[in-house]
Amino acid sequence: MHIPDNYLSPMTCAAMGAVMVPIWTKAVKKVKEEVSRVKIPMLGVGAAFSFLLMMFNVPLPGGTTGHAVGGTLLAVLLGPYAACISVTVALFIQAFLFGDGGILAFGANCFNMAFVSPFLGYFVYKLIKDNVKSQKGEYLGIAIGSYAGINVAALCAAIEFGIQPLLFKDSAGQALYCPYPLSVSIPAMTIPHLLVAGVVEMIFTVAIVAYIKKVSPGTIYEGAKERTNAIYGLILGLICLAPLGLLATGTAWGEWGTDEIKDVITGGNTLGFIPKGMSEGFNFSAVMPDYAIGGLPEIAGYILSAIAGVAVLIILFRVISSFKKDKVGSHNGSYRK
Amino acid sequence: MIEIKNVFYSYLDIIALNNINLEIKPGEAVALMGANGCGKSTLLKLMNGIISPERGSYRFDGEEITHKKLQDSKFSKQLHQRIGFVFQNSDTQLFCSSVFEEIAFGPRQMGLDELEVTKRVKDCLKLLNIENFENRIPYHLSGGEKRKVAIACVMSLNPDVLVLDEPMNGLDPKTQRWLVEFLVKLNKAGKTLIISTHNLELVHEISTRAILFNEEHTIVADMLTKELLKDIDLLKKVNLVDKYYH
Amino acid sequence: MDHTESEMTDVPEWLLINENYIPLTDKDTFVNKSILSIFRVISRIKMQDSIQQTHLKINVPLNVLCTAILLILVSLTKSLIFVMIINVYLLSILCVTDTDRLIRILKLSVGVTLFTAIIMLPAFIQGNSYSSIMITTKVFASITAVGLLSHTTKWSLLTKALKRFYVPDIFILILDITIKYIYRLGELSLSMFYALKLRSVGKNNKKYTSMAGVAGTMFLQSMEMAEEMYHAMECRGFSGEYHRMEKSKFKWIDYFHIAIHIGFVVLYLYLGRVLS
Repeated sequence: MHIPDNYLSPMTCAAMGAVMVPIWTKAVKKVKEEVSRVKIPMLGVGAAFSFLLMMFNVPLPGGTTGHAVGGTLLAVLLGPYAACISVTVALFIQAFLFGDGGILAFGANCFNMAFVSPFLGYFVYKLIKDNVKSQKGEYLGIAIGSYAGINVAALCAAIEFGIQPLLFKDSAGQALYCPYPLSVSIPAMTIPHLLVAGVVEMIFTVAIVAYIKKVSPGTIYEGAKERTNAIYGLILGLICLAPLGLLATGTAWGEWGTDEIKDVITGGNTLGFIPKGMSEGFNFSAVMPDYAIGGLPEIAGYILSAIAGVAVLIILFRVISSFKKDKVGSHNGSYRK
Repeated sequence: MIEIKNVFYSYLDIIALNNINLEIKPGEAVALMGANGCGKSTLLKLMNGIISPERGSYRFDGEEITHKKLQDSKFSKQLHQRIGFVFQNSDTQLFCSSVFEEIAFGPRQMGLDELEVTKRVKDCLKLLNIENFENRIPYHLSGGEKRKVAIACVMSLNPDVLVLDEPMNGLDPKTQRWLVEFLVKLNKAGKTLIISTHNLELVHEISTRAILFNEEHTIVADMLTKELLKDIDLLKKVNLVDKYYH
Repeated sequence: MDHTESEMTDVPEWLLINENYIPLTDKDTFVNKSILSIFRVISRIKMQDSIQQTHLKINVPLNVLCTAILLILVSLTKSLIFVMIINVYLLSILCVTDTDRLIRILKLSVGVTLFTAIIMLPAFIQGNSYSSIMITTKVFASITAVGLLSHTTKWSLLTKALKRFYVPDIFILILDITIKYIYRLGELSLSMFYALKLRSVGKNNKKYTSMAGVAGTMFLQSMEMAEEMYHAMECRGFSGEYHRMEKSKFKWIDYFHIAIHIGFVVLYLYLGRVLS
């Protein structure tokens, strides 16, 4: 669910960042009040935990694996405000140091994964726990909360994608950023999350909380007294808006061809996972001639193509030679692959 | 049982094993000794199939262990059943919510029926002198108790070879003494023991043969433990002891 | 040692016979995959720590600023030429990066670019060729730029550089703690996965319970570590305030770097004018 740069317009990114500022401010204030004992180290270590949790591969039926996000889990364990900060720091490190998720899109990613997912998940969990007063009620709350948390976060990402072609077009009517309207982006993002990722998140969250409850129940965050406040109001508003968005685009529901849906859905399924493989067929210079003529003097185009060609050749040569070297003295033991 | 020939291994360009040659026969009790960072732990990892040699060969019971074979889940599972590994940090080895579950984890995976599983768990608890721990939570046990549970959950797999990484570390003298006697008992029962240790006082009791590493990550001595302990010059040379040791 | 002789009787019988065990098959790639992804993170942190800040390296805050400007320009521009020029510039820099880093940077940027290309394929077929190519090339530029920054700079210097952009000290401290504990907790969870792997000798019917055990133990350990660290910090007189000092001087290579990026801004404005 990590949105890379350039899928969203800079304006959307700026807007999402602006939305996050008051949320972060409030979260920092709340954490200072609530977590009196171990404040700063807990936030850092909590962020490290959140980061590593996203590295865990969870088994899926059929022998494949998927990733958990853990927004609701952290909210249940640390409280929603501390979870918000921990996930924010984890996302920051992923974007800034590991190149996973965009830097400009940081605000949007935080909105989906550090705000919507933990707060909504926690709200649903609290709501059910307070109304069904039993052990079962609590686990039911965690299950539904985490399922809702990740799915609404995916829906938010889908809406962010889907409004791009509506808002940002050039004079010829071509989309400048993500070209898919809501009618495509919503099903592409939500269907895999509803069917697979949400279920993984739910089972994983319940299992971890159950383990910690059994082993060390005192470590789990005790909820604050007050419940409904501005942030929950905002989330509730979002939940109400979401179906409206679906309804508004409902007319376009039957318009896409089957191939296209399949493509987009299988693509969406792996969103958040980056295929890490080298492509031998990557041919940069071949792309250039067709498009390099536009607004540059011809000679500059040649020079540019030449530099690109030389650079690509050097890089390819070095990559290939390093593979050869690896084969001879391969020491990539079993756990380095 | 174990045959290691001309093995090299390095982590990100830092050499950890430098031309290691070693043969261990069934029923032996062998101690691996050497200063911190000399490659003992890496060698133990290699024996257990967590890593595979960069160069050279490793044979377990006549069969060569390669990176490719370890990728085969059936093969690596069989290896893991036959050679048990007790980690230096017992905390990392325990992840179930009760001691019973922890010890039953292995036998259950082997497809034994629940009656046999319970018998094995009870026997292991008795063997390690922790009978009343059955329903305790591993996470909250003391260091020594955790070590015992970790050993129990490896024993329940009934491995032929038992590998222990610094088993005496962090234990009080009484528990250390108990562990020595326990290991001797296991060895007499026919289990092959491979133990890495810094404990010069107890090493001759748990092992008959000692392998000494130097700081260049290679083996410099392979002799009777008793004799190695007498060769203080050699121990000084590999920086295991200082000039005040006698 | 003779006293142990009498205790031989209490070794259970099953422990004395050889097992002759043939493993049951099970689908448990999740353990190996988790090991692999955690191992990657740990070795990435280890790798960045060995980077030397030589005199040929660009001033870190300046590098961060330039990368940020580059990202914004690439994201804003409507000119494919501009994106191409930036890509060529980044490729030229890649040429002089050492091979190991070069491959790591390219792995990620080529991977994400290919992924984007697949995502954009339906739009391309539908006739939205301009934006599909634009986005794909822009994605390559952005990821490569960030990769170059994070792979050639020590992370402690990167987080320190954030101070120049008025990021609060306390946030930088949290970042540093996080990186350190990703490493520590990462090593811990790696060992736990190894332990899980070594003991998974057959069919595991409760995979989620095992995973939850690993994650849950990691959480409990992390909370203990946090408390320990807080006490240690308190003992050293930490009061919740945290300040860092940083001074640096520009070298000729820094001015060169500034010139290149001013060039990019001018080019961006020029090409923007040409297009409209």
